[in-house]
Amino acid sequence: MGQTASEKIISRAMGRIVKAGEIVHPEPDLITVHDWYVVNFDKALQEFGVDRLYAPGKVLISTDHEPVAVSAAASARQKQVREIVRKYGITHFYDAGRGGHGHVFPMELGLVRPGMLVLAYDTHVTNYGAIGCLGIALVVEVSELLACGSVWVRVPETVRVNLKGRLGKGIAIRDIAQRLIKDLDPDLVDYTTVEFGGPALADIPVDLRMTLCNTPLEIGAKSALVDVDQRALDWIAPRAKAPFTVTNSDPDATFKAVIDYDLGMMEPQVAAPPTPDNVVGVSQVAGRKVDYAFIGSCASCSLTDLRDAAAILKGRTLAPGVRLVITPGTQEIATRATAEGLTQIFYEAGAMLTAPGCGPCAGGRIGTIGPGEVSINTGTRNDPGRLGPKDAEIYLASPLTVAASAVTGRITDPRELL
Amino acid sequence: MDFTYRGRCWKFGDNIAVDGDMMPLEFALQRETRLEVLGPHLMGGLDPDFAKKAKPGDIIVAGKRFAQGNPHIQGLLGVAALKLGLVVESIPRGSFRNAINAGAPILPRCPGVTGMADTGDALEVDFAAGRFRNLTRCTEAQFEPLDPSLLETIAIGGWKAKVLARVAKMKAAAG
Repeated sequence: MGQTASEKIISRAMGRIVKAGEIVHPEPDLITVHDWYVVNFDKALQEFGVDRLYAPGKVLISTDHEPVAVSAAASARQKQVREIVRKYGITHFYDAGRGGHGHVFPMELGLVRPGMLVLAYDTHVTNYGAIGCLGIALVVEVSELLACGSVWVRVPETVRVNLKGRLGKGIAIRDIAQRLIKDLDPDLVDYTTVEFGGPALADIPVDLRMTLCNTPLEIGAKSALVDVDQRALDWIAPRAKAPFTVTNSDPDATFKAVIDYDLGMMEPQVAAPPTPDNVVGVSQVAGRKVDYAFIGSCASCSLTDLRDAAAILKGRTLAPGVRLVITPGTQEIATRATAEGLTQIFYEAGAMLTAPGCGPCAGGRIGTIGPGEVSINTGTRNDPGRLGPKDAEIYLASPLTVAASAVTGRITDPRELL
Repeated sequence: MDFTYRGRCWKFGDNIAVDGDMMPLEFALQRETRLEVLGPHLMGGLDPDFAKKAKPGDIIVAGKRFAQGNPHIQGLLGVAALKLGLVVESIPRGSFRNAINAGAPILPRCPGVTGMADTGDALEVDFAAGRFRNLTRCTEAQFEPLDPSLLETIAIGGWKAKVLARVAKMKAAAG
């Protein structure tokens, strides 16, 4: 009997064959923590009486939730983070302006590779599935991991999604990723790895595969993976810092479910308040006036996303009264966007660019909106209060739909502008 | 390890929310973790007198997606505070971890269990063996037991106590 990719990856970490459903204590290949949680884990370790990490060389800290400190408290916290990094001898520290979004740049830098097991503080670590790395979030239990080297993990079952068909004009992978979590049964997906493959995969750029891996956790998935194919290998090979093993599921592995999903959907999709899976066709919310637009977040911050935004914004300007913030995911993406002329298009349209990282999506510390205002953006979540005021309305959509809406001042089907 | 609870059944339906139904949201926002504060409010959104009526060893039997919503631990700490057991048809993974971390014994995957008991029935649940007995109806069912390592966490009093013990053990081993 074959194994799923998740079973294989955890089996390798355990040094023995494991099966879905088992409770195990694997030691991960990498542990990631973000700027905002570093002081918290240090405090937890002090409470536990721990003064050194189990494996400081495996820990990666990114500065993405607030790279440009926007308060005195934030500056003080950044200073504390640097001190904590020195105290524990953490080797992979990416300070403000270095790297960018921790759910993205470790793949660009080849620190995250196919077949690896990464355990993390933050939920969207599932992005690493784009290149066949199993990322699992632990939230506060990351403190135990840092102190003791492992925590319990239930080996997940796998829901296999075979993608087929072709994207229509004006439809983005973000539309697919959003619609999918409305269509999948949360009871089926809970605690599973959602794994993508199928004939349409070859058409999907690696950077958009992160988007596919970003949304399933919103309905309870534990992780997400994409089959590593030739397109992925071409992307990874020049970047990888060490040898790796491609770890795809065996054809005869046991899947909890196998679903065929057609990319040929009829119209762009929008997640209406208050949850990311409250997804409707754009026609149902088109015309809603918007005040504030944002393109970025670990769900949609890639070069391909920025190219989509630029395709709409080129030669156009924002509607009066509308603000648009664009946050490239990483230093590399920002550099390449500038080299391609995208940055110029954004500035000429009236957009503001922020430092690479999470941008306004990180809980409304930068780029907040006013009471009662309406935002359309590419963030990960649209809970009340995500961008500050609880009574602001937040719609989530693709970079194409967000850019089109910023240009017209109303939620707009991007096909009207393409 | 023997891990058996004997007590009365308190039955709830599907989709019991961790915020609101099980515990006022305010406690989550305040990061309140004191058991003596949380216990008296358990299930107060559904039955304001629940905490007064429930006794240690009683069992909450619930349907699908128990403790659904944002995975705040406060509702599960309330269960641990009143020393109750949980037998549920399903529970989202964040709340499952929270149940273990709070030190609340749980059988997390018990399809059909809400049809096997009613509020007031006398129950006996062996969490280590996964055995569910309804003494009132003289029926018995077998479910997936809780992993021994998770039972240990519950027995020691939850996540923080577990980590402290683990750290102490590591330090002792290192000499």
